[in-house]
Amino acid sequence: MAGALVRLRAARWSRPALALVVAVLLVLLPLVSSPYVNYQVTTMAVFAVALLGLNVVMGYAGQVSLGQSAFIGIGAYVAGYGTTHGWPLLLTFLLCCLLPGVVGMLVALAAARLRGLALAMVTIALPIVGTPVAKRLSDVTGGSQGLTVSWLDPPSWVALADDQWRYYVVVAIAAVVFLLTRNLVRGRVGRSFAIVRDNEAVALSMGISPYRTKVLAFTLASTIGGASGFLYLAVVQYTSPETLSFGTSINLVVAMVIGGSGSIAGAVLGAVYYVLVPVLAGQLDASRTALLSGAFLLLVLFVLPGGLVSLPRRVQQLLTRRRRRSATPSDDPGDRTGTPVLTSDGRTP
Amino acid sequence: MSYFVQLVVDGLATGSIYGALALAIVLVNRSTGMINFSQGALAVLSTFVAYAVVQAGGPLLLGLVVAVAFGVVLGAVLERLVVRRFEGGDPNTAVVATIGLLVLVSGIAGAIWSYDPRAFPSLFPNETLALGGVFVSVRSLGTTAVLVAVMVALQLLFRATKLGLAMRAVADNPGSSALSGLPVSRLLMLGWGIAAGLGAVAGVLVAPQLFISPTMLDFTLVYALAAAILGGLDSPLGAVVAGWFIGVVENLAGAYVDVIGNDLKIAVPFAAMIVVLVLRPQGLFGRRTVVRV
Repeated sequence: MAGALVRLRAARWSRPALALVVAVLLVLLPLVSSPYVNYQVTTMAVFAVALLGLNVVMGYAGQVSLGQSAFIGIGAYVAGYGTTHGWPLLLTFLLCCLLPGVVGMLVALAAARLRGLALAMVTIALPIVGTPVAKRLSDVTGGSQGLTVSWLDPPSWVALADDQWRYYVVVAIAAVVFLLTRNLVRGRVGRSFAIVRDNEAVALSMGISPYRTKVLAFTLASTIGGASGFLYLAVVQYTSPETLSFGTSINLVVAMVIGGSGSIAGAVLGAVYYVLVPVLAGQLDASRTALLSGAFLLLVLFVLPGGLVSLPRRVQQLLTRRRRRSATPSDDPGDRTGTPVLTSDGRTP
Repeated sequence: MSYFVQLVVDGLATGSIYGALALAIVLVNRSTGMINFSQGALAVLSTFVAYAVVQAGGPLLLGLVVAVAFGVVLGAVLERLVVRRFEGGDPNTAVVATIGLLVLVSGIAGAIWSYDPRAFPSLFPNETLALGGVFVSVRSLGTTAVLVAVMVALQLLFRATKLGLAMRAVADNPGSSALSGLPVSRLLMLGWGIAAGLGAVAGVLVAPQLFISPTMLDFTLVYALAAAILGGLDSPLGAVVAGWFIGVVENLAGAYVDVIGNDLKIAVPFAAMIVVLVLRPQGLFGRRTVVRV
């Protein structure tokens, strides 16, 4: 018991301390590293936001979505349209969140009545239909060639290079989105997501409408996806129908599960994976990327169902089991290290 | 008028391909209660085996037989080694697992045979018959005939044989089936094996038209999933009829509705699917399932 209490106290200050260290590192990083590294890290922040949105609907609310790429695409196109037409930045950003959110809500109003596979199929329709639509609306989207923009240059009073300035803008927005989402999924809304995911009948008997909860989850996911589309255009300065393709959606699902579904930190790890794997695999053999990532996903599903984020807990669990096996049968019942009680947000108790 | 009939006939021909893969999806769903997103990838890998046989100088028919045998073994092995772990668990995890298989299997095909499309010989002669002003290729006729034969065989398997009854029982309730003395494990492997073998047939039939590459069936898979859902996930007849329906309707809409055109015709089956799902969630031919709390 005493051991658990000490751990609890340690956890109380170690988490904010860790967050502070990470924040300081993130602020200092672009000042010392190369533009290439800055670009990669900024891209990670973009996809971390996209995966966070996917996590809200799939990880927390337990509804399969194979359409997240469509919202990134819409967000990026809205941002591109806004920039080329000289809209104020704030207005563009708000519309980037609003428009995909509305699309997501409309789809969810019809789709949230369905379960599991039917839902997966309806969400597949978004990227599958969205790609030819984007090609068709070439006045707005630039058709198959895509849309190249040049924006978010550092203002004259800032002595930063393009990549550094964009890094700070993107990472700051991403941090705010993460903070808001974290608070949301740890509060009342997050608990209603969890109960709808685990048992709809129980949710209903507690006065929580599964239908409304699912629509809310989809709307949030698409809004966050739209925000990541804005960030995507900010970093890459280019978007095309490829951004909202079905392949992107599949890769996002793969990355989310590998990072850890239903976990805030898992979204970050998933984004690191999403950005790094093509780079690393490209150094070996680009044609092996799919092979590696499929094999890795299945490996994770087998040995680490909670994703990379659960690796420390899993290692601890295995160590404890080994220690217990060697110890006498009369074990301290209070020492329950490695038994996750609250797993939905990736925290160990 | 003959243009209209031509569109319908062409639509039926493409619809047959969607139906063939949809049949495989329905088969997996009926025998293991899962949706296999990797069905197309398994079919492509088996088709590449047929391609390898043809490259080595063997006749195409031998290639087809080898591909089907390979498909059956591949499906059964994957069910036993990979999918088994996720059956009966969280359905979302199962979906993700088959997506993992999709990425992995097409990655294997890509690593061995690269991603460039290649020509593939046709099982049927490349001729067209003129029937009353409408041109029908022998290939389409052959594909449709094979599909109908397979559908009838599957319907008979599930409805009229003890094996089919056992497979349905296992999908419905593995626990009770095991207690009744059914070899659950082997039946599950068999379900995946037959489905993958069927996919191999579909792959060999469609490869001459699409050119063989690891991503050959990606779009077909999406259509096939739509067909399987439209027809109700537990009905072979429904899957085939829905496949034809999708093929014909998208062809007609693409030709006659200006706004849709050739590029947006893929939206048609999805619009139809969403309408059907919202009005009748069990599909056109499926049976309603009741969930007990």
